[in-house]
Amino acid sequence: MDARSESVLVARDVDKTFDRTHALVRASLELHGGEVHGLVGANGAGKSTLSKVISGHVARDGGVLLYKGRPLNPRSTREALDAGIAIVMQETSLAPDMSVLENIFLPEFGRKGLLSYASLRRRAYELLANLGQEQQLRLDDEVSRLSAAQRQLVEITKALAVDADLIIFDEPTASLSPGEVELLFDVIGRLRDSGRTLVFVSHRLEEVFAITDRVTIMREGRTVVASRDTASITQAELIRHMVGQELGEIYAVPGLGTPATSNQPVVFSVEHLSAPPAVRDVSFEVRRGEILGLAGLVGAGRSESAEAIFGLRPRAAGTIRIEGREVSPKKPLQAVKAGIGFVAEDRRVQNIVPDLSVKENLLLAHLGAHRGFGLAYKTRDKKVHELLATLSLPADRLLDDNMLNFSGGMQQKIIIARWLLLDPKVLVLDEPTKGVDIGTRSSIYTILRQIAERGVAVVMISSDFEELIGVCERIVVISDGYAIADLESRLLDVEKLTLLAAPRTSMRRNSELLERLTAEWGGAGFWILLDGDQLICLNTAVADQAADPGFAPGEAKAIRSTTIPDALAGRRTDFVAESDGSRSTLLVPIKSHRGHDLGWIGLTVATSLGVPPVETIHRQIGMMSEAAA
Amino acid sequence: MSQSIQSGRQAVRETVEAPRQSPIVGRLAKRLEIRMLALALVLAAALSLLSPYFLTTNNLFNILDQSVVIGILSVGMTFVILTGGIDLSVGSVAGLSGVVFGITFHHLGVPGAMLAAIACGSFAGLVSGWLIAYFGLAAFVVTLGMMAIGRSLCYILSNQSSISDIPDSLSAIVYTEVLGIPTNVIFLIVLYMLGWAYLARTKGGRTIYAIGSNKEAARAAGLSVLFYSVLPYVVAGGLAAVAMMFSVGQILSVDPLAGTAWELDAIAAVVIGGASLFGGRGTIIGTLIGVLIMVMIRNGLNLMNVSPYWQGSAIGGIIIVALLVERLISARVGRR
Repeated sequence: MDARSESVLVARDVDKTFDRTHALVRASLELHGGEVHGLVGANGAGKSTLSKVISGHVARDGGVLLYKGRPLNPRSTREALDAGIAIVMQETSLAPDMSVLENIFLPEFGRKGLLSYASLRRRAYELLANLGQEQQLRLDDEVSRLSAAQRQLVEITKALAVDADLIIFDEPTASLSPGEVELLFDVIGRLRDSGRTLVFVSHRLEEVFAITDRVTIMREGRTVVASRDTASITQAELIRHMVGQELGEIYAVPGLGTPATSNQPVVFSVEHLSAPPAVRDVSFEVRRGEILGLAGLVGAGRSESAEAIFGLRPRAAGTIRIEGREVSPKKPLQAVKAGIGFVAEDRRVQNIVPDLSVKENLLLAHLGAHRGFGLAYKTRDKKVHELLATLSLPADRLLDDNMLNFSGGMQQKIIIARWLLLDPKVLVLDEPTKGVDIGTRSSIYTILRQIAERGVAVVMISSDFEELIGVCERIVVISDGYAIADLESRLLDVEKLTLLAAPRTSMRRNSELLERLTAEWGGAGFWILLDGDQLICLNTAVADQAADPGFAPGEAKAIRSTTIPDALAGRRTDFVAESDGSRSTLLVPIKSHRGHDLGWIGLTVATSLGVPPVETIHRQIGMMSEAAA
Repeated sequence: MSQSIQSGRQAVRETVEAPRQSPIVGRLAKRLEIRMLALALVLAAALSLLSPYFLTTNNLFNILDQSVVIGILSVGMTFVILTGGIDLSVGSVAGLSGVVFGITFHHLGVPGAMLAAIACGSFAGLVSGWLIAYFGLAAFVVTLGMMAIGRSLCYILSNQSSISDIPDSLSAIVYTEVLGIPTNVIFLIVLYMLGWAYLARTKGGRTIYAIGSNKEAARAAGLSVLFYSVLPYVVAGGLAAVAMMFSVGQILSVDPLAGTAWELDAIAAVVIGGASLFGGRGTIIGTLIGVLIMVMIRNGLNLMNVSPYWQGSAIGGIIIVALLVERLISARVGRR
């Protein structure tokens, strides 16, 4: 960063409040010329808001922005763009029915005078050639027919067409395949080499390590780590800052007393559910009396799994069983008749019918499930009043004709009551406490607990990990469409859950590697991050219980409290026997092909069975990692 | 992340307290139909001042008689518009049904030919409705296509000429009086009662409102969205045929051009009656008021000897002014 390292953009004490949400609290950011700067944080940390403040999408409430030494006060994206700041967002701002060429030069169309298509075409070709991407895009193609990656490329070229110097990429890899990610990284590399400043906003840690020079970490609207060299920080450290150490301590103790449900019968199970592209392979089961949590980041495939189960989204594969009986709903009505209720994520769009009265909204699922010609609202009167009492909803507001006048919490209670009215066997709730005040939250939790105890299988999806750990007995983590962990919540805290939920390009590959190693050599394979005298386990495959290393996926442990402390302390690449002689362990560090640390792959075997050939194992691990690169 | 922030913002917007209960007059004024009823009464008063003949029993029956055809059409159109759709084909489907009646009554007899005509109208509605609901095509475009097909079949099936040997028995059915009220008016009243009961008091009716108001929520609540999205078009097509039967009974002739522009009258009546073209809002009573306003204007202009060529301008202007006034009032009353 030497010669180019003067500050291009300085953001200091930036504040932003959306009504009651304090999105940015004196956040700061400093960008150097010619760097790729990672802006990372968990859901809701404020990284997107800060990006949008800089790009003029959102007006800040306070604080200072300096761009190239001059104050920057963009009142619109247009002004930011004129200053040379562009943002490439997930939902692109392209005109789908126009050609690639027209989209690239859309800002030019607002100018007076005639446009020369020939010269525009030439310029577009040059811009793409500078990125090395002239083969990837045909200028005359309609944008609506392009892939997500190609659209992104159009966005980038559009930014270059107006000579943007600072380009912010907001979650740019979320909808890209691994090959496309490589292409994007190549483009970002070229842009950096041309002296531009790039901001890479992401919660995909491996990518942050792969592409960025420096990182700024945000948490709850604040900047907690400013401009650290990426090379000087470890994954574990990054996660700690994202989550906040103190959080981990506070919530290490599980919230509600969890009754032993492990010997209860399974009420509801889903096996190998697939609904591409969002859902690849999701399995889970709910035992009687249990609340199961589905954790994951936004876009990981949680909501889509729920929709696939409920028949709102076509399933490619998967078996759904309710009390042992297989059901296969193709549309919601069939799911309802099978005994499934579903509180969808977006209240306004998916749940509330604004032109019907509150009472009719409450009775909407009844209306669908009811077989007769009339309304039969009266048959539910008693149950409705019971529910209103349990949910402490005022009965006299039932006849109000506009539910949108109610608070978010009341709306949510009515939607939940809509399903409870039908006495479902399974109730799936997607973000049931989003936009709901704290008082109502706790009464929603109480209701869920009550119905779970009556034998309803409750599945709750939430981005609020703290809430999941507090409310649920078990949590299934979904990442990139795969269910990757199924853990009792008393073993989890927010930190571990965040770690597990972070999408990892290498998760599948390394999980396969572990399966293969243990299939061939027996023992137990594991994938861990080592952080001083602590380890964080990302995955395990245990073929031989005698070789169990003493930790499970998602666990963070002190090395000395595992069953293989000597090997972990030694970090040697050949087999190290424990002092008690029971187990021998081999550890191999794995790196991305850009050379960044991806943790360690280990294989523990019972010493009594003899130690496998070290060279062969090294070769196998090496081959698997390279195959992916 | 941005999502959570937006949801926070939304949450706050949603927390706004319900407006306080307003006095009874204000609450009535909030009801669109009530306001439109007031407009109809004002209109009637004005017309009775302008023409002494307007308020005679004879003329009032005239108005009801003239309301029958457009009134029947408008019931079907209300169903369609409540789902957020539109049916531009009712006029030509009505014309086609009339032609079907005209070419089949020799073979099937009058009742059989009427059934054939109604089946024809319902089938056209079924095709449009299915295309719209199952494939998600734009209702405007599908029914525009059906409108062209229907009119073209009118010419083909009728050999481009009117059929005028309609048996008097049809006219007898239309104009038999029961307790001094002609059957067509009785039919209209019964139809509106049935329409009101269906929309307000049955599963199907409420489902139609839910679909028009928020289709996604209706689907997610397990309602039969596909079936009840198609049904309104079937009803509209079937009722278009019924309307044509009454029209044929009045003029005892079937013309390949019959029913031209009926769809516009029906849409106008439904909209004047307070329905939202986005769906989910509107009532059958509102539609009845809308129909009466339309017919009264036309009747009054006739009584005042306004040239038929000017009547179109007058009716169009009054519709637009009525909607404009309504919009300005409702903005003040603060509905939604």
